[in-house]
Amino acid sequence: MSTATILVVDDNSTNLKLVSDVLGFEGYRILQADDAESAQEIIRKTPPDLILMDIALPGMDGLTLTRLLKADETTRHVIVIALTAFAMKGDEAKARLAGCDGYITKPIDTRTLPGAVAGYLRSANTEEIRGKP
Amino acid sequence: MSRALTDVLLDETPDAVVVTAPDGKVSYWNDESERVFGYSSAEAVDQPLDTLIVPPGHQDLYLQFRREALEKGQCTFETTRRRKDGSLVHAVVTNKVIYDKEGRAEFIVTTQKDVTQLKVLRDAKLVESKFRDLLESTPDAIIMANETGRIVLANSQAEALFGYDRGELLGQLVELLLPSRYRGGHVAHRSGYFAQPRTRSMGAGLELYGLRKDETEFPVEISLSPLRTDEGTLVMSAIRDISEQKRAEQKFRGLLESAPDAMVIANHAGDIVLVNAQTERLFGYPREELLGKKVEILVPERFRGVHPGHRNGFFNEPRARSMGEGLELHGLRRDGSEFPVEISLSPLETEEGTLVSSAIRDITDRRGIERTLQEKNAELERANQAKDRFLASMSHELRTPLNGIIGFAEFLSDGKPGSINDKQKEYLGDILNSGRHLLHLINDMLDLVKVQAGKVELSAERFSLREAIGEVCAGIRPIAETKRIAVKVEIAPGLDFVTLDQQRFKQILYNLLSNALKFTDDGGHVGVEAALHGKESLQLAVSDDGIGIRREDIGRLFTEFEQLETGTARRFGGTGLGLALTRSLVILHGGEIGVESEFGMGSTFRVTLPLIVTGEGA
Repeated sequence: MSTATILVVDDNSTNLKLVSDVLGFEGYRILQADDAESAQEIIRKTPPDLILMDIALPGMDGLTLTRLLKADETTRHVIVIALTAFAMKGDEAKARLAGCDGYITKPIDTRTLPGAVAGYLRSANTEEIRGKP
Repeated sequence: MSRALTDVLLDETPDAVVVTAPDGKVSYWNDESERVFGYSSAEAVDQPLDTLIVPPGHQDLYLQFRREALEKGQCTFETTRRRKDGSLVHAVVTNKVIYDKEGRAEFIVTTQKDVTQLKVLRDAKLVESKFRDLLESTPDAIIMANETGRIVLANSQAEALFGYDRGELLGQLVELLLPSRYRGGHVAHRSGYFAQPRTRSMGAGLELYGLRKDETEFPVEISLSPLRTDEGTLVMSAIRDISEQKRAEQKFRGLLESAPDAMVIANHAGDIVLVNAQTERLFGYPREELLGKKVEILVPERFRGVHPGHRNGFFNEPRARSMGEGLELHGLRRDGSEFPVEISLSPLETEEGTLVSSAIRDITDRRGIERTLQEKNAELERANQAKDRFLASMSHELRTPLNGIIGFAEFLSDGKPGSINDKQKEYLGDILNSGRHLLHLINDMLDLVKVQAGKVELSAERFSLREAIGEVCAGIRPIAETKRIAVKVEIAPGLDFVTLDQQRFKQILYNLLSNALKFTDDGGHVGVEAALHGKESLQLAVSDDGIGIRREDIGRLFTEFEQLETGTARRFGGTGLGLALTRSLVILHGGEIGVESEFGMGSTFRVTLPLIVTGEGA
């Protein structure tokens, strides 16, 4: 289970590193992108199981990328968790509308993040198993 | 000798002796005639007698007596004669006809005795008995004069007014009571009056003055009425001292001139009656070019048509008011230029009827200031918005690196990347605490800015008060347990579901509870009570038995960065923004917050919130 591949997308290198290392320490395979365009490239080459997607990105924003991924047959199954700095009402709804599977507000809590990610992965697996005839 | 005696007799006789031809031309004029009538013999001889000494209106009488003399040879009568200076004398006149040998009338010898003073005494006796009592009872000074201009009666008010005794006035010419510069003109006016006597006020519109015995002058108002008696026409003049009135006028004038505004006083017809110097300056007209003109001269052409209508409106309901409130009014200068004005109107009750007094203020400068103020306001508003944007983005920018600091410190402190010793763990703990405090500060500040800028909208939802309070209490339990403080929660039965912004409600309660814990010593007590307050509100009370607040400090309590003693911030931590933010959130809900405290005994914060608040859920 800890062999899942996780893509972290964040334009802030420190946050990118923090999230990557916290999850990497849990044994996940970590991929990194600092903008939506390079994220697309990585996803095409190595489709991850889960993406931690910063919403505010230079160029294409995280929600636009999410919409593209969810519209694409080959990437629709990838779990997308939105990461946002502002815990504003409405952000979660916007993220859900764009197709995000989950929503985590910054600042991230290094103690709860691994558990939350594991939870998303588990529920996706359960759905997948249930989905199979 | 006999010739000389005749001359002496004629010159020294106390009567005026005049000899005339039957056609009336003077052929002889003695010295007494010159004394009585003012003409010298040279001036009088060869002149018709009537043009010399018969006053207007007495011509018929003069002719009648001459005819009578010619018929009867002699006749005697009493009449009025005129002196060269126009003044009148009362005379007893005898005409005697001298006949020639053929018995034809050759001359008429006229002897005239000046009985002016006798006539005065007679007239005085007449009016004394008839009018004295009546005239003493009027408030005005009354002087009565006869046709010769002699005073025949003065009431006590007149004595007091002019400073003479009655005896001093009787028989004097009324001109005694006038300043000398008016005397000459007055004699002519007086004679004119007797020619056409009727009741009237004297010199209406003129400045009239009286002269006291002590030579001082005073302004007067005089009314005249004729009094016809058996002894001929008398004139009664009522004289009123208008010094007071003049002083009041002067005062009014002074007031008018000292007014800061241009003052224009107009009558019902719109004629300008009075203006002050400010009006001259403001409109560029000299006073005399304005008096008597229509006020519309000061109004721009395009408003002139409607102005008289407005004026009538004012006079129909005269009361003080400002003109054209909310309208842009303009004045018109003599040079044709216009300027914005503000006008206030007030009715002015005068003897000439109601007038309108308008105070006109040039507001050119004020318009300029208003514009500048508006611009400044807009500038301030822009600056304020810029400040809000700056704070919002700064808060965001400050938080991002803090996420890194807190995150990595936490990660390290948990020993995930590798084991650390106790000292390292302690320092990491210090970094974490500092980072969290800073984060808290930034979050509170951002919240406060947003609430105060009206950027926060409530997101109302129905939730269980009981559950929400439970969740907040669970959140603060670790601190409470550390300080061994018991937190007691009491919720009134029947009070459960409310419709508020749940997140903000929790924030309010959390702030109050964490304050209570912060300022309560270890082992103390903190309580939360929720109860209905009226039918539509709930009251939340958070009490503690902590250090309390001094009475004089309570006012500053809800102000930003006002932790009460500088010492307390160090001792208790906190951002100094909590209560300011809490209050803003309470107000945003339409609620109230207050505190009761006794220093050293503890505090109770009470928050009143509506049970249902309207607000758009996002």
